Amino acid sequence: MAKRILVVDDAMFMRATVKRILENAGYEVAGEAENGQMAVERYSELKPDAVLMDITMPIMDGISAAKAILDNDPAAVVLMCTALGQQSLVIQAIQAGVKDYIVKPFQADRVIEGVSKALGAA
Amino acid sequence: MNVEFIEPFVRAAFTVIESISGNKPEKGQLSLRKSSFTTQQVTIMAGVNGEVEGTALYGMSFVTALKIASAMMCSEVSEMDEMALSAVSELGNMITGNATTILSQKGLDVDITPPSVIRGVDVEVATKTPALVVPVNTEMGLLEINVSLAENQMRKAA
Repeated sequence: MAKRILVVDDAMFMRATVKRILENAGYEVAGEAENGQMAVERYSELKPDAVLMDITMPIMDGISAAKAILDNDPAAVVLMCTALGQQSLVIQAIQAGVKDYIVKPFQADRVIEGVSKALGAA
Repeated sequence: MNVEFIEPFVRAAFTVIESISGNKPEKGQLSLRKSSFTTQQVTIMAGVNGEVEGTALYGMSFVTALKIASAMMCSEVSEMDEMALSAVSELGNMITGNATTILSQKGLDVDITPPSVIRGVDVEVATKTPALVVPVNTEMGLLEINVSLAENQMRKAA
């Protein structure tokens, strides 16, 4: 059965791009969310195998959402996918329990490699 | 405004544009404006906050915006619909995000706000500091980078 991924990004274009990349690689997109708060709610509801999460979003940012998801489910597989590559943010994300940190712009292979490794290690 | 603040935005624009189009852009002549002002038809506006704060504008013609959206979506776009606007907006997010990463490597702790797209010419954004403007020539057309940033003395002192 295909692994189910929750795609979180405030940009409709990025959600569509990531969805296409994942589906072409045989993953199923369990759902989408356009801010961190919605991501936390959709995670509880959908129980996906992994979450691909942007950082800069309205209402709740991706780091706060990743922390909330991992607090509720320490086994959650969360990967950040963001234009921000600051070392301080990478450290915050890794300390929160995030499995990988993908910086935009990215190649499709980088996303698939990250998801595949994170799920393999889960 | 400190001239050093615009260079990360130009470097980031080069990286992002080369990544989406496969072609290297060319940098034009730097100029100064009293405030952030765009005469372009489509403008992406992103906020920067933290130890350095202000606004970054990325202006382009309607035709260039369509070409950028086409390159990002890997398919010909002839209409500036919601998806095309989102793609163009994401270009601004990527450039600003990559620029703040470069600023952080210079020891400045900065964050960005989600970008907005403005359609219409002669848009002026009230800014505390003058804006530095660099035109970047790409195969998709001209992208005008307009950056108005100042050090946040309260954050620097904290």
